[in-house]
Amino acid sequence: MVGRESIGIRSFRFLTGALLIIWLVLPLIPLAIWSFARGWFFPSLLPKTWSMKAWEYTFSDTAGVIDSLWLTVGISLAATLLSILVGVPAGRALGMYKFRGKEFVELLILAPIIVPGIAVVLGIHSVFISMGLNNTVSGVILVHLIPTLPYMVLVMAGIFANYDPAFEAQARSLGASPLKTFWYVTLPAIMPGIIVGGLFAFLVSWSQYILTLLIGGGRVVTLPLLLFNFATSGRNDITGAIGMIYILPGIIILLLTARHLSGRSGAVGGFGQI
Amino acid sequence: MKQVLKWGLLASTMTLLPVGAYADTADGEALVGKSWDDIVAMAKGGEVNWFLWGGSDNINQYVTEYIGGILKNDYDIKLNRVGLTDTVEAVNIVLGEKESGVMDKGSVDMIWINGENFRTMKQGGLAYCGYTDTLPNNQLVNWDNPAIANDFGVPVDGCEVPWSKAQFAFAYDTMRTEEPPRTIGDLITWAKANPGRFTYPAPPDFNGSVFVRHVFYHAAGGVDNLMGPFDQAKFDEVSAKTWEILNDLESSLWREGKTYPTSISAMEQLYANSEVDLTFNYEPAGVGLNIENGVFPPTTQGYGLTDGTIGNTNYTIIPFNSPNKAAALVLQNVLLSGDAQYQKALPDVWGTKPAIEMSRTSAEVQEKFAAIKAHPNVVPAEELAKAALPELQAAWISAIEKGWLANVGN
Repeated sequence: MVGRESIGIRSFRFLTGALLIIWLVLPLIPLAIWSFARGWFFPSLLPKTWSMKAWEYTFSDTAGVIDSLWLTVGISLAATLLSILVGVPAGRALGMYKFRGKEFVELLILAPIIVPGIAVVLGIHSVFISMGLNNTVSGVILVHLIPTLPYMVLVMAGIFANYDPAFEAQARSLGASPLKTFWYVTLPAIMPGIIVGGLFAFLVSWSQYILTLLIGGGRVVTLPLLLFNFATSGRNDITGAIGMIYILPGIIILLLTARHLSGRSGAVGGFGQI
Repeated sequence: MKQVLKWGLLASTMTLLPVGAYADTADGEALVGKSWDDIVAMAKGGEVNWFLWGGSDNINQYVTEYIGGILKNDYDIKLNRVGLTDTVEAVNIVLGEKESGVMDKGSVDMIWINGENFRTMKQGGLAYCGYTDTLPNNQLVNWDNPAIANDFGVPVDGCEVPWSKAQFAFAYDTMRTEEPPRTIGDLITWAKANPGRFTYPAPPDFNGSVFVRHVFYHAAGGVDNLMGPFDQAKFDEVSAKTWEILNDLESSLWREGKTYPTSISAMEQLYANSEVDLTFNYEPAGVGLNIENGVFPPTTQGYGLTDGTIGNTNYTIIPFNSPNKAAALVLQNVLLSGDAQYQKALPDVWGTKPAIEMSRTSAEVQEKFAAIKAHPNVVPAEELAKAALPELQAAWISAIEKGWLANVGN
């Protein structure tokens, strides 16, 4: 599909790619070094003493990092899946149709990003208690939808704003069932949006602290709960070790989905505005 | 559809609820006056959820492995340690539950607490009170000591049980500084003579706030005039002097006082990386742990001030709506025991000062305590105790914090 590129464009692309990778990876190097260091002070370029102590603690039963890793993966995947289920139809409605009160709905969807979480979290807590959802994993998954949905819905609305429903009409007129139309026409066209929105949703859920602590009531211990304890107390070695584990799922998912991101389809002209 | 969804969600919730056969001991009044054996029997097979600051692997290991081990082996109780970044988070859970009418199925069974958070719990009716005599090890606590019976000036009134004592101390690097300043007056002179080499975390940071109180005591010419309930006239007089001293000092601070570290750990990093030359902490044993964990250079030495430093006591509290009060009582009793307090005082475990009265413990425990070899870089508790200053009542403290923000940190 991609035509021949001049050497100039290719080397420019290579340079920007390399720069981006360096920019992303560089800050992680001190984190990795810290996790093996026992004392690392300015102006030493490298720690004077190396140690496995931080990793030993991280993998100990006391720290509970590994159990917490699986739990966090499960919660974030579930929150992402639910976000997609809600976000795709909502994005379609917002992106393709004009209706009375649309601006108001958009504002409501954006509200969780605009309003500082700390201001509403106690109210959310009391709502979840009255529904009997506090102190449970399902409660934590549900509450994560509050910060994840805006990203999902907005990305999907952008996708659907540039979506041409005539492709669906063609498929239907050729005899495809609604389900088949969705599977073979709509889904491939909006896939890049689902992946980008899903990545956002996953990472937003992955990094929730105060919502998880309050709604989970200390029973649902996700990785940020363990990580932030040490990050705020200045323990760079343990923060480094847990941090290395913490960034893994995000990187794995990014690598797995990266090739779908550039997917092109005649039905969608890329990301547009609502 | 909505109904189906709702029931589906509820059903999925049910499956995740813990199924326990142990006794629900939410009714705290029923436990008061019961024999200790009865309480231990009621707690057997249950669990206890203890919320405490989780930023130290040493403390986490002591709690989970040592204390958790005793609860498991001797009492058949499962200890669930919940690490916090800030104690107020646990207080907010209890507060939210009370506002939503959760009176006997709370999530929090115990919190490590003192000061402002204790005041919130006590005044808000969030604490389980009046049970302390039920604990056998309560006899090791000297409630006649005003520093134990008052938590930052707020009377404890049987609403919490002491765990450890702490006293503010400074630390310096013997490689960088020959002789550190040993009074607040000298410190101010020293900071001006060494511009950029000193700073303090901005209140309301716990440690920054207590540093400002030391300057406040210094400006008042002693703490004796400040004891008792809040006095606006006295506050106005002393605070004016305090702000003058601190504003005058500001241009000599790290980054010319244009910014302050926001937390004690941020300041400790500045100290570790030689950006400033002094650090301090309300927990003097932290110097030893920080050296062992590679946070501080090994040449760091803790020291006290000759004109005194402020001391406090920290406690454990049981929320009013804890469903596992019997297990929480057992946990508190274990924490107060001579053996657990000894383990906690070991320099490689934590090194913090016991809250129990040594003379009331068994001869064996006293002997063990006497044999503890303190970390050489930590200032000995006895030396600090020679010049100990009391905490002010909470109203003074919040007035000083607000005043600092308005007059110095603006």
